Amino acid sequence: MERSSRVAVAFAALAAPCVAMAAWTKSYVVEWNEPAMYYGAKTGVIDPGTDCPRGTNPEIDWVKVLMDAGYTREEAEWLRNPANPTRSAVHGQNQMAFRGKDRANVYVNPTSTPDPGLIGVSGTLAEGIDLDGNPKTGFTSPHGERGIDNNFYKTVGCWKTYRGPRRLSSGALQFNDSMRNGAWTTVIVIVGKGNDPMNDEQVTVGFYVSADKMVKDGNGNIARDYTFSIKPDAKYEAIFPARVTNGLIASTKPVSGVLREPAYWPDLELERAQIKLTMQPDGSLTGYVGGYRPWRDVYQGWVNARGPVIEALTWVQLPAVYYALRRNADYSPSGARGEKTHISYALRIDALPAFVMTPDASQQAAVVDSYKSLAPPGSTRMARVIPRVIDGLYIDPNATHQAGPDAVILPPPNVANANQ
Amino acid sequence: MKLRFDRRSVLKGILGGSAVHVGLPVLDAFLNTNGTAFASGAPLPVRFGTYFWGLGLTDTPTGGTRWVPTTVGPGYELMPELEALASLKDKVSVFSGFRAIGDGRANLVHWTGHASILSGVAPASASKFDAPSFDTKVADAIGASTRFKSIDIDASVSRQPVSYSTRSGSTFASPDATPLALYHRLFGPDFQDPNGENWKPNPSIMLRQSVLSAVTEQRHALMKGLGKDDQLKMDQYFSSVRDMENQLAVQLQRPEKAEACVVPQAPNDPTRISSVDVVNANTKVMAKLLAMGLACNQSRVFTFVHTSGASETYLAGQSKIYHQITHDEPTDAKLGYQPESSKLAGEVMKGLGAFLTELDAIKEGEGTLLDNSIVLAFSDTGYAKIHAIENIPMFLAGRAGRRHKSGQHIAGKGDSVTRVSLTAMQLAGAPIGEFGVGSMKTTNPISEVMA
Repeated sequence: MERSSRVAVAFAALAAPCVAMAAWTKSYVVEWNEPAMYYGAKTGVIDPGTDCPRGTNPEIDWVKVLMDAGYTREEAEWLRNPANPTRSAVHGQNQMAFRGKDRANVYVNPTSTPDPGLIGVSGTLAEGIDLDGNPKTGFTSPHGERGIDNNFYKTVGCWKTYRGPRRLSSGALQFNDSMRNGAWTTVIVIVGKGNDPMNDEQVTVGFYVSADKMVKDGNGNIARDYTFSIKPDAKYEAIFPARVTNGLIASTKPVSGVLREPAYWPDLELERAQIKLTMQPDGSLTGYVGGYRPWRDVYQGWVNARGPVIEALTWVQLPAVYYALRRNADYSPSGARGEKTHISYALRIDALPAFVMTPDASQQAAVVDSYKSLAPPGSTRMARVIPRVIDGLYIDPNATHQAGPDAVILPPPNVANANQ
Repeated sequence: MKLRFDRRSVLKGILGGSAVHVGLPVLDAFLNTNGTAFASGAPLPVRFGTYFWGLGLTDTPTGGTRWVPTTVGPGYELMPELEALASLKDKVSVFSGFRAIGDGRANLVHWTGHASILSGVAPASASKFDAPSFDTKVADAIGASTRFKSIDIDASVSRQPVSYSTRSGSTFASPDATPLALYHRLFGPDFQDPNGENWKPNPSIMLRQSVLSAVTEQRHALMKGLGKDDQLKMDQYFSSVRDMENQLAVQLQRPEKAEACVVPQAPNDPTRISSVDVVNANTKVMAKLLAMGLACNQSRVFTFVHTSGASETYLAGQSKIYHQITHDEPTDAKLGYQPESSKLAGEVMKGLGAFLTELDAIKEGEGTLLDNSIVLAFSDTGYAKIHAIENIPMFLAGRAGRRHKSGQHIAGKGDSVTRVSLTAMQLAGAPIGEFGVGSMKTTNPISEVMA
């Protein structure tokens, strides 16, 4: 069955009476997506490169951090000892949170501690989209396009979770593996009114979610040409007016929209969002969705994922992430003088051809329109990323030892000796 | 003189007011002249077990494998993380490239992988299986005639006992989590006194007097009726039991200092020393006990957990646990893998090596207990850094009474892990022809390893 197909006027009109007819459609399923991070090293994740001349942010000496926060060396070393019975090996050490002023929880109150510092990208190249239309601001693309706005990359591009060759950063691997195993599915429908799908001035691109899971082939790759029905969702949806020039689909007008992101905070809420996607000769679709996103969500996503675990595994101090995102935020929805609550961002997308059906699965989607009104009540409610996480800490009410600003760190000597 | 004992005999006695039972190993007197079957013609029993360890082995997307042999078939080369299996290589088959297939269900980290292997279906939630673990099917098939249908063991020294054996999918077996508990199960009485709540005989008395002393008369009677080789075997057997008791007695002795100083709540706060050397030592001791139990026909089926899925183990002296290292250690650009993770994987595999060595140390007929066993050893994940459920390392160890054409490397190329599970079941002698659900449903065991 041909995906790029002309669809009868009456057929489209029946599906969505308020939408103009489409002359051609193409549809895809997103098989990989990751924050657009230009990788400037030759090999390795932590190695120096043009993006990060000193390599990624180094591993942290947590004993020193704790001592700087007022713990004694003995206390700090006890907290970092896996044999310490008060330390949950699986869930990290909750006491790590209480290193702010007066032992405030730094995940909830990151400014209770001075900025520990996060090394950002110092290179000049970046991937993404010129969001503000100003070639004098931002990075230069690897292909020479000026004005690439991607301060998210500038902020976290030297954080080892985000850094790595295409499709090989640990963060991308982790979340895409989850997506490809069924955690969520994003589909794309593209319709045009012209005669040539490769060159069309009136194109609309819709991003939706589907409840149908992707299927892997025998090699573990996502299989092409499977069928997915659009699942109406009151939140996850974005529709872009665009044009196609020699197969490059580019926005003609910024929009607002929400995508499902491969991250602990799953909501990618974009303001002044744009697309830059290329239809490849093999039938696939690659490129970027960019826009300005609330930076506090990013921070909160990492906190919700259990602050002590994230800090230990990814070699950052979360307050440093907070300060860096705030420092590099570059957009305010309320105007140029408003508080910079958003940061420029780009999501890199690889999509495969697929059959995308209307929500009732009665026909192939031939229009791009909002299905939000069909979403069931409550579908916007976001599930907690990890159950029982409060203020960045995994809470076990039955645990004998509870962390907190007033927690006694060192056990009685007999207990300590018994564990040696 | 006709021997009053046979292969089903159990030495019985009274100790500390409770009945004690000591099973017997397979003696030559019970076998045919070739030592290949019982004198009655019945074949030597094949034992079946699962052995689980957490966090997989090292095989990265950039090609830095540390365990997948480069050649397929017999005579595979021993990869670095399998060094601990060197002496038993010919009795171990390696299965790479098999995967759990979720059919759209999300990968529940440190759960979906082994749940799929054991139950044949990717689970819907992270605390349950959606079907019974297949070891229970095997136990139903081959374990009904023994004292214990199955023995569940956890050597991980985790905060909570770990078992992945389940009949309902929601309730898991309560494993013996210490050598002492396992010892009591295998060689001691049932300590629950129906006439008094919480009463238990003093285990230190039991050990001082030795469980063997309670069966002295029967033991002597048995020895008289045995040939020289069997007498020697029995001597070795009873000596090894006594050695084990002595080891356990050390653990029972509360140090003077601790006895005087420990705060009241300390006994309820289990000491967590789960460093990999301690876990491996624990594994060796419990494997030795298990091997005795199997040899004495107290059970034919077992499940053994070395470390849990989200393993708590660590290298002694390090501040980071293994689980953390698998996630936070970058791949070395030159090596192509995570060197510290690989080192720890090698340490964890020493546990499997020690475990199998203990089974292989028990002489049985013309071979060893391991030769008459089939052990499916497996993990929860492939590339642990991202919780991959592709290429989960799986091994079949033991010759299953000559049913297993061991010593091969089988490359699965994306096949379902359930094919290996079904193979294990059939090698164990369980009459099971189909296993798994959806894309993991299979009737196709791996014939290359089946005689």
